[in-house]
Amino acid sequence: MPPRRDNDKFIQADSDSDISVDDEDFSKSHKGKGKADVRRKRDVKGKGKAKDTQSYTWEASYTRSWETVQEDEAGSLQSSVDDWMARGRRRRLLEPSTAIRRTIIRHLILLLDLSTSMMDRDMRPTRFDLMLQVVREFVAEWFDQNPLGQIGVVGMRAGIGERIGEMSGNPQEVLKCIADRHKLEPTGEPSLQNSIEMARSSMSHLPTHSSREIIIIFGSLTTCDPGNIHETLDACVKAKIRISVVALAAEMKICRDLCDKTGGQFGVALNEGHFRDLLFELIPPPAQQAVSRGASRATNPSADLMMMGFPTRLPDTSPPSLCVCHSEVKSEGFLCPRCLAKVCDVPTDCDICGLMIVSSPHLARSYHHLFPVRAYDAVLSADEAASNSCHGCFRPFPPPPTGTTTTSEGLSPLGRYRCPDCKNDFCSECDVFVHDVIHCCPGCGQ
Amino acid sequence: MSSIQPYTYAEATTPASNIPHALLPFLETQSQNTLTRLYQLPSSCLSIFRLLAPLERQLVMNLLWLESAIPASTMAAWVVREGKQQYDAALGNLARIHILPNSTVKLALNSTFKSSFRQAITGGGSSGSFGVPAVLDEKRPPLNVEGLDGYALERWETILHYMVSSGTGQHPTRPSPGVLFLLERSGLMASTYGSPLQITSAGFQFLLHSPHAQLWDLLLQYLHMAEERQMDLVEVLSFLFMLSTMELGREYSTEYLGPSQKAMLEDLRDYGLIWQRKPSSRRFSPTRLATTLTSSSPPLPTMTGTSSGPPEGFIVLETNYRIYAYTDNPLQTAVLNLFVSLKYRFPNLVVGSITRDSVKKALANGISADQIISYLITHAHPQMRKNVPLLPVTVQDQIRLWELERNRLKSQEGYLYTAFASQADYEFVLNYAKELNVVLWESTAKRCFFGTLAGHANIRGFIERRTAGGTM
Amino acid sequence: MDDARGSHLSVLIDLSPTQWHNSAQGPPRNTYPLPLNSFLSQLLAFLNSHIASKHENTLAVFGAFPGKSVMLYSTIDPTNHDQAIDANSYPPFRLVDSTIVTRITEELEALGEPEEEAPSSLVSALIKALCYVNRVTLPSVSTTNNPADGHDPAILPDPRILVLSVSPDLSTSYIPIMNAIFSAQKLKVTIDVCQIYGPDTIFLQQAAHLTGGSYIFLERRDALLQYLIMSFLSPPSIRKILSVPTQDKVDFRAACFCHKNIVDIGFVCSVCLSIFCQPVPVCSTCRTKFPMKTLQRLNASRPLLSSSTSNASRTSPSTPQARTPTALGADTGASTTNGARSSTAPLGGLPHSGSIGNGTPRAANINGSRPGPEAR
Repeated sequence: MPPRRDNDKFIQADSDSDISVDDEDFSKSHKGKGKADVRRKRDVKGKGKAKDTQSYTWEASYTRSWETVQEDEAGSLQSSVDDWMARGRRRRLLEPSTAIRRTIIRHLILLLDLSTSMMDRDMRPTRFDLMLQVVREFVAEWFDQNPLGQIGVVGMRAGIGERIGEMSGNPQEVLKCIADRHKLEPTGEPSLQNSIEMARSSMSHLPTHSSREIIIIFGSLTTCDPGNIHETLDACVKAKIRISVVALAAEMKICRDLCDKTGGQFGVALNEGHFRDLLFELIPPPAQQAVSRGASRATNPSADLMMMGFPTRLPDTSPPSLCVCHSEVKSEGFLCPRCLAKVCDVPTDCDICGLMIVSSPHLARSYHHLFPVRAYDAVLSADEAASNSCHGCFRPFPPPPTGTTTTSEGLSPLGRYRCPDCKNDFCSECDVFVHDVIHCCPGCGQ
Repeated sequence: MSSIQPYTYAEATTPASNIPHALLPFLETQSQNTLTRLYQLPSSCLSIFRLLAPLERQLVMNLLWLESAIPASTMAAWVVREGKQQYDAALGNLARIHILPNSTVKLALNSTFKSSFRQAITGGGSSGSFGVPAVLDEKRPPLNVEGLDGYALERWETILHYMVSSGTGQHPTRPSPGVLFLLERSGLMASTYGSPLQITSAGFQFLLHSPHAQLWDLLLQYLHMAEERQMDLVEVLSFLFMLSTMELGREYSTEYLGPSQKAMLEDLRDYGLIWQRKPSSRRFSPTRLATTLTSSSPPLPTMTGTSSGPPEGFIVLETNYRIYAYTDNPLQTAVLNLFVSLKYRFPNLVVGSITRDSVKKALANGISADQIISYLITHAHPQMRKNVPLLPVTVQDQIRLWELERNRLKSQEGYLYTAFASQADYEFVLNYAKELNVVLWESTAKRCFFGTLAGHANIRGFIERRTAGGTM
Repeated sequence: MDDARGSHLSVLIDLSPTQWHNSAQGPPRNTYPLPLNSFLSQLLAFLNSHIASKHENTLAVFGAFPGKSVMLYSTIDPTNHDQAIDANSYPPFRLVDSTIVTRITEELEALGEPEEEAPSSLVSALIKALCYVNRVTLPSVSTTNNPADGHDPAILPDPRILVLSVSPDLSTSYIPIMNAIFSAQKLKVTIDVCQIYGPDTIFLQQAAHLTGGSYIFLERRDALLQYLIMSFLSPPSIRKILSVPTQDKVDFRAACFCHKNIVDIGFVCSVCLSIFCQPVPVCSTCRTKFPMKTLQRLNASRPLLSSSTSNASRTSPSTPQARTPTALGADTGASTTNGARSSTAPLGGLPHSGSIGNGTPRAANINGSRPGPEAR
């Protein structure tokens, strides 16, 4: 109740336009923000299903997203909200309950162009802002599909490569390093060579089984390099680094070469939607790698059984000893379970016995896809025996509404959702939380 | 006389988290004997504990269940290097209120405090320090929570409203004489030549504080007064602490209260801290103002609840200095009127703008720019909280600049020393004055300097001694 | 004043009757016996300390009974408000204490005496605790309307979950625990773990490590309250100044999908990342067939593998076992024994958890029994 009331208040402030003229831009900016939000949501939903009609930015018509939101007779938005939730539930019911195919360890460096050309406004609001927004969604989606992967971020500005985020397997960390736009303010010329070299060096230590990829988002038409970039390109080919480029301006020969020689993809974005599509096409793991694994497994080339070790992490307070990877004296580190050698970081290959070392949480991140929670059924009629509070969060259920209420399909008029296995009732928030976040039913969970 | 000084920025305000609770400095001034008597009551220990800073609380907790003293080095081993300074400061604070006696070798809590606080945590004992509940009276049920909140709010807003509208020609309800006396004593209001009470600059500043700080400001004054009124300070303090641990919506008996505490009932009733059916009643109920004394939650959740504004904040400030306040509360409107020139009023909305004149008026009343800004920040509308920074920078800077306009000149009384006989004489006296740190201005070329009023006696004595010695 | 909002603490109590019975046994079995009632009195003092620290602090207590988990107490929906109050105790403390004790007694009595005790459902309690944290952190209709918490629950800072476990790892719960850990990370919840009785649990160790909490294996069980207060009472902001005991080692082992064994070297399907304790021709999860060549290669390398680690007890495929810290220490020289560590003054580094019990005089437990002389 209160959040909505706040909104009402605010809308009132907007409608006070008779007060004076100079209020105008304030209220507009807020309206604009709200609209952007709605549009973003729409896009997320529509992503993958229907690609936006491929027209250039300047040809597109103005979308009136607010008109899609319907008020009911009382002027409340509750029905629209309910509709959203019902749609989410139905989508969940349609989801396949079979296991989803996942892939092996990927390593990716995102090269972001932070040169002055990113301030161009041909994409709204600016190329730079659009890039940050799309990259954030990209990172979240990428980690969802590549749980074992790691992403590092390097920026290109003022003629040098700038390390923005270290390689990390934690989406929160990656998102944090690109969260603050003030730290990333574009300046100067970009340097492809410098930043590719930086990305290459930060991936040099990676084990053989992992893929190494660089994705470049490039808005400039020039690059300012200290040496011959083709040597860098050859080094990348040698190190089996795939480079993909999404250009915001126009095709450049060197970018095309980078992609072609390393087996990456190249694309020029037509407009905002196309830019997102190009970038999101890079999320599924590359096919080439599977082919290179050998012709003998043509039936299912990527399938294989790998031996992996789960290490023990030494605390920071343990007595220092030499690590096998850098030969440095350190306290913290991981012990290989087979040969008990100490390595600095996982995932990696043990330098002594060659065992692939991963920490089990790395693997476990994807298990919720393997054993999904069955969708809860909406409870349609009151039941004497049912408990009076949610089985997950112990929130008391509202008393059953009197009279007949019309609710959309898939929603319970009582606000109760029942697990088909353990027959416990849950509130709608726990329903969403259990299926979207925990992936484990509190009632059946052992 | 005055000396010209370049204007300086106001001292950087310390972050809110480092400011100790207003009561702690008062406790520090009390004798160890008083404090030890206070620590005999579990409820007082619990309340004082809550007023401490988080680190201090953890230190007390770490030591609470230890039977014997532990070496200071053992505790220090847990402190990370960057936190050393804060740790030492925390130990110092605890030592000053005699909870943790100062020692470089062994650490152990004050034994009285330790046993009482343990009792507070585990329950038991026979001190009755958490208030003796009254027997339920069937005929006269206690006032419910809403009633208590309404009562507290009405009392408290009466006081504030009286303050804010004094001198504006309006005549709001007068609080009781006891409250008026307290307001006058605390310097929040003053009467000149027998005229009705007028709000002072301290009073204006007071109005912009958070309700919680306002409450403690008044109570501290009350404590100072209590000393003069020959009330037992331990009883007064422990009664306040007892109130803060009581349960809202319950009635307590007055039978077991001490004489000073019974005397306090009337005063606290006037402030809205407790409710009694009638003055002679032998039972009382604490209001939310009292039960949240040692917490930092807003003492009156209904403060803005009576108005239609959202509870968290109601002010929207734009870069064009225009201000929208979603409120129908006359008190909030009156407070805003202190530094905003109000333009329109709607049933639930007040519109105004911050102008140079309105801010100057506030500054003339003794309100500082920082106070205005912090008031705007604490009462900002939830929609405003999405902005980074919260307030438009232009407005913040402009308010500060308006304040600085006033601070170009700073006058200070003092004495000018001239006509020194020789350069050596001049330097000799000047050096002496500098050692005392009383020199405001000096000019070697003119062979004169300006000293503060405070240093005058010393300097004159010095010159006299020197001239006397010189003639010898 | 300091950070105006209180912090939220959810406490999970493992209430497996068998384990508590074992825990109460005398010296031949346990050096420091800890019966349930003495544990509860110390725990209640700890809970009261949490509420005492700040008026706004909120608390929820969950109990994990065999095959069932229930909420014992929550600040947001208190159960019985109409109890008589007493002049000698702070009403909220009384409410917490009486509610928890009554509820535990009720549940334990309802349990009866089954033939075979089901394992305690700690995981289900953990998931419920997360649902609860999700509920109190979400600004939802029903919580904001609740007068019990006057402040906006949307900005509830640093919620924490403290798990007090007495049971060994249950390898079937591997996947739910991992899911819970990732949800906790998403909700920014810190999970602290205190293993009061029984062997180290590697899953809870991982939970604490991955969520930035601390894991403590209770060595001196007579000093439980002191451990709880020193390690788990302080919110994260204080832990930056006054450090809490750090974890000894974190074991990143996993449970295999085929036999629910806890393994340190496993065979992983590259498609769905399922873990198996031995090479299998077909992935049981995603039905992928593995190439024969790989299978032969892996099978060939297996004997070598098992002989090379036969001395370490951690590869034993049956049940989780407590590893003595010296077993690994001897191999690597990387760790010292406990006694040696506590006797050296901590220089620059932080003290080890073992030094709570050893380095400081012990806490008296509430029952009034005085601790023995200093260990050193």
